[in-house]
Amino acid sequence: MEEETSFSKVGIRRLVLIVDDEHVNRRILGRIIEKEYDVIYAENGQEAYEQIKKRENTLSMILLDLIMPVMDGYQLMALLREDPKYSKIPVIVLTAERTAEAKSLQIGASDFIPKPYDMPEVILARVKRLIELAEDKTIISAIETDALTGLYTKEFFCQHAIIHDNYYPDMPMDAVVLNVNRFHLINELYGRLFGDKVISTIADQLKSIVSETDGIAGRAGSDSFFIYIRHNSDYSVLLDRIVNGLINGTGNSSINLRMGVYQNVDKNTDPEHRFDRAQFACNTIRSGYTNGFVLYDDTMYKRELYSNKLIDDMHVGVENRQFKVYYQPKFDIIGDKPVLRSAEALIRWDHPEYGMVPPGSFVPLFEENGLVQKLDRFVWEEAAAQAKRWKEKFGVTIPVSVNVSRLDIYDPELEKRLLSLVERNGIDPTDYVLEITESAYTDNSEQIIDTVNKLRAHGFRIEMDDFGAGYSSLNMVAALPIDALKLDTQLIRKIDESEKELRMVQLIIDIAGFMKISVIAEGVENEKQYQLLKEAGCSIIQGFYFSKPVLPEEFERLIEEKIRKTPERGTL
Amino acid sequence: MITIENLREFGADVDTGVKRCLDDENFYIELVKSVIPDTRIDELEQCIKDKDLDKAFEVAHALKGMYGNMSLLPIYEPINQATEFLRSRKDVDYLSFINEAKAQKQKLIDMNNARK
Repeated sequence: MEEETSFSKVGIRRLVLIVDDEHVNRRILGRIIEKEYDVIYAENGQEAYEQIKKRENTLSMILLDLIMPVMDGYQLMALLREDPKYSKIPVIVLTAERTAEAKSLQIGASDFIPKPYDMPEVILARVKRLIELAEDKTIISAIETDALTGLYTKEFFCQHAIIHDNYYPDMPMDAVVLNVNRFHLINELYGRLFGDKVISTIADQLKSIVSETDGIAGRAGSDSFFIYIRHNSDYSVLLDRIVNGLINGTGNSSINLRMGVYQNVDKNTDPEHRFDRAQFACNTIRSGYTNGFVLYDDTMYKRELYSNKLIDDMHVGVENRQFKVYYQPKFDIIGDKPVLRSAEALIRWDHPEYGMVPPGSFVPLFEENGLVQKLDRFVWEEAAAQAKRWKEKFGVTIPVSVNVSRLDIYDPELEKRLLSLVERNGIDPTDYVLEITESAYTDNSEQIIDTVNKLRAHGFRIEMDDFGAGYSSLNMVAALPIDALKLDTQLIRKIDESEKELRMVQLIIDIAGFMKISVIAEGVENEKQYQLLKEAGCSIIQGFYFSKPVLPEEFERLIEEKIRKTPERGTL
Repeated sequence: MITIENLREFGADVDTGVKRCLDDENFYIELVKSVIPDTRIDELEQCIKDKDLDKAFEVAHALKGMYGNMSLLPIYEPINQATEFLRSRKDVDYLSFINEAKAQKQKLIDMNNARK
């Protein structure tokens, strides 16, 4: 089994340097050695040193004469011993002098070959043994091969990938990860023995593939394989070959494989990294019921790394106040002129590395893993405290709305938490508006109706956010206890271009009006959209046409302006 | 002409030499021919005349290795003796060894030039 994965099987011939000033000696020795090794020559120590520097990674052995012009063997050995890059290359001294043998061993030679070269087989055997010993020493691994398949273990595989690169630095290579879909189920359904059969059959296919393609193969996990092979542009052929081999070998055609390929690897990255990329590509294959492969895409990977970094940095970001709450004004447009009505609190992240990160980049991520709750609570606190500050400063209450994520709905402490918040900040719950995304309502209607009813009973106002972005249902609007509908930007965007969109918005506003629910339009960007919405009977709008989300200090200018125009005190 | 038989007659240990060449007689003859243009016996002679025994040892040592590996004993023997004396820088009549080596080398050259 070990033979299957040995170097010679994958076509790597070791390189031996013969250093002798005498051409006849070089040629005779070269004849012996070249039966099994590639051979290069040098006529003296200096020439040899130049050769060694060029081939430090691929030179497996130096056969060294001692007495030579320019630089003799002793001087060269001393140079090599000094440098850790070269000191690991085994040296066999070629000598006719009995007295030189002991000395050469003392200064670091691994062995010696007496001149003249009377026993060619012995010379070859010594060279071979010493190369093997030196390599075993270099590749430190307790277990070189996987017992079931005879393939390299993951660690050993990576070492061999490095050695492969040293020998073939210019060969374009692909890193391939092969996984068996739902392998645990195969073990469960057909038994462990069958599972082993599947793995060893795949391994046999891989062995025959790598023996033809200058590559190496390893078993990276219970159902995972690594293959490092010469660049190949069509992986469907390779995958078909493995799949067919698996069907023939096991008689079972229901086992599916997925393959991730990182083509033309960047050899400046370490092998683990290359296979991370191939694994990443492999993991993007979601279906477990077909055979398939995906080629690694750098952009996709960078996006993933970026997302992971954002997730990792979130807690520190909150602690270091990298998150800032911006406020976007909502304007009442029922009268002649738009009047400031309230503010929506929106999160922004001033990331130390990436600068301003748009919420679209991190909110959906944090929603996936629950981190969004921490962020929501941070915004709730900030917004309530801000409302309190404005009330103290201007003597008016500016209603603020905050986002409540789907996960918050399931928080049994939600009611208590929000009540405590408004109490602590001296705000009336009616001035603290909760925006719940439309999709949360479709998730678990009963729970949400229950929660929303309780919150409304305390006086909180509820707005259904992002209406029209997902699978909206007018029936849902009728069934849910809400105070306002917020039309999603996507619905508003085209009303000034498309009659159809405008009619739809009109219809929603009419129905909402019938049900005494006010309608807020988000993402209003121009005069035309504003006019159309006003004519359609929309009561409140929010969008860049009036103001982008701004920091509290800037928002205060709007409050001051409003107070100037309508100096009565109280709620805006 | 340099042939296995002629070399044997010359006194070379042909069997050992050929064995070192992995039993390839042609390769062995090719190597023997390759020493014909070598001028280092003359170089050795000059070193002795110049009393540069260090350099002489280096040259003699190389020649010893070369002729030894090919088992060209008639040339190897005098060179070997000279090398051993040179190793300890002894003051002996090196030229007698060198002349003997040159005479034997000339036989090899003659053999190479001969038709048979």
